Amino acid sequence: MDNQVRLDAHGEMLLRQYRELLPTLQQLADDASSQLRHALLEQGIYITAMEHRVKTEKSLTGKLELKGAKYKSIDDITDLVGLRVITFYTDEVDKVAAIAKRIFDIDWQESVDKRKLHKLDSFGYNSLHYICRLKTGGPRFELQMRTALQHVWSTIEHDTGYKGDVKIPDVYLRQFNRLAGMMELMDDEFSRLRTVLTDYRRQTLALVKSGKLDDVPLSRDSFRNYLDLHPFDRLNKRIAAVNQAEIWPVSVMSYLPVLESFGMETLGQVQHFIDENSEDAYQLALSQLAITDLDILSSNTALQYLCLVYVLKHDGGRDGLKSLYDLINGESDANGIVADMMMEQAKTLPFMQKKR
Amino acid sequence: MKTTIQEIDGNMVAILEGSLDTAAAADTEKAMSPLNDVEGKDIIIDCTDLAYISSAGLRIFLGILQNAQAKGGHVYIKGINDTVRGIFTITGFSNIFEFM
Repeated sequence: MDNQVRLDAHGEMLLRQYRELLPTLQQLADDASSQLRHALLEQGIYITAMEHRVKTEKSLTGKLELKGAKYKSIDDITDLVGLRVITFYTDEVDKVAAIAKRIFDIDWQESVDKRKLHKLDSFGYNSLHYICRLKTGGPRFELQMRTALQHVWSTIEHDTGYKGDVKIPDVYLRQFNRLAGMMELMDDEFSRLRTVLTDYRRQTLALVKSGKLDDVPLSRDSFRNYLDLHPFDRLNKRIAAVNQAEIWPVSVMSYLPVLESFGMETLGQVQHFIDENSEDAYQLALSQLAITDLDILSSNTALQYLCLVYVLKHDGGRDGLKSLYDLINGESDANGIVADMMMEQAKTLPFMQKKR
Repeated sequence: MKTTIQEIDGNMVAILEGSLDTAAAADTEKAMSPLNDVEGKDIIIDCTDLAYISSAGLRIFLGILQNAQAKGGHVYIKGINDTVRGIFTITGFSNIFEFM
C-alpha cells in the first residue's frame, strides 16, 4: 500500500471487506463479461473492444481516503468491478444498453446517462453508465458504454488532467470544448453516414432485383449485387460447351475497372454491353478454343471475350487490346504478345469484317 | 516431362521441363505434390523450359494456387513462353496467377 495514504478505522474496515470479497469480484468480472460478450454476439453487434477489471487495492485505498465516510459497507461501492464496451457508432451504445437491460438487473437509482447531463453550452465526456447486478445476484458492478471517439476523448481528457485540481484558464477550456463538440459531431455524422450507406445499398439491391438497371450507378457494391443475377452465366456456358469444359469459379470483380474504363456508369449500360456483344464474344472465343482440347475455363472467360470484342468494335485495335490486358493482368510487355495473338484471330470474324 | 523441386532464396521452386500434356499430368502432379505442404514460403513455378500446358496441367497449377492461397501464400509463374501464355489467356486464367 502507498505509505502516503492513511485510512481511518472505517476505511480500514472497508478495505478488509474488499480483501475478503476479492475472489468473488474476480469471478463476477469474468462472468459478467462472458454473459455480455455472448449476448452481443448473439445479436450480431460488432464492437471495437470490451474490457473488464477489478478495482485494485491501491485505487480503492485512494478512493476511501477521499470519500470513505460516504460508504457504510463495501457493497455501497458500485465500481469494484467494471466492464467497458466500446462501440463503433453512437446508436450501438443504445443497443448494447438494451441488451444489458435484458441480461442484467439495473440499479436505476445509481445509473447515469452522462450524454444527457450536459448543459446547452457544454460538451465533453459523453458516456452511458449502468450499475448492474447479475440475474443470479451477487455484488453490483459498473458497465460503461461508449463509442470509440468518446473513448478517445475520455482517454485524452484523463491524460491532460483537464479535470484535475488546477483551474484551467478559460482560453484552454474553450479549446477543449471546441474539440469535444467536434468529436460529438463526428460521432453523429459517422452514424448518419452509415445509415445513409445502408439505405443506399438496400435501394441498389432492390433496383437490381427488380431489373431497373438503368437507375443503378455502377459501383463496387452494385456490381457485386448484379453478379448475384449471374449475368455472364449464359455466355460462359455457351463458350464452355465448345469443348465440354469445366467452369472454374473465380472473382469477376477485377473486371470492374475495365468496365469503368469503357465509360460505363450504370448497370443498365453493363447489361446493354452484354446483350450487344455476346454473339461476337462467343464467335471470338469459339475461334480460339475450337482448335484446342482445353476443357477448363475460368468463370471470367465470358467477360474477357466481351471486353475484347468491345475494344475491337470501338477501334481500339492492337494497342487497345494491349491496354485492356494491362488493366486485367497488370502492365507488362507480354500483354503485347497476347494482344497480337488475339488480333490475328479476330481479323477473320464477321464483326471485324463489317467494320471494314 | 521433368519436374524438379528445390528451395531457392527461401522460396519453393518447381522447375518444369518438357510438355505438360495429358499423358504427363499424373506424374507431374505427383512430383509437384510437396508444394501442397508448403507453409510460410512463396511458390515459384519456373516454366522457362515448359513447351506446352494442357487442361490437366492447368488443373495442377490451380490446385497448387488454391492450396497456397488458403494458407496466405503466393504462387508465381516464371518464364512462360508465348504458347503457354496464350493458353492461360484464352482460358481466362491470366489474371488469376502472378507472373514474373
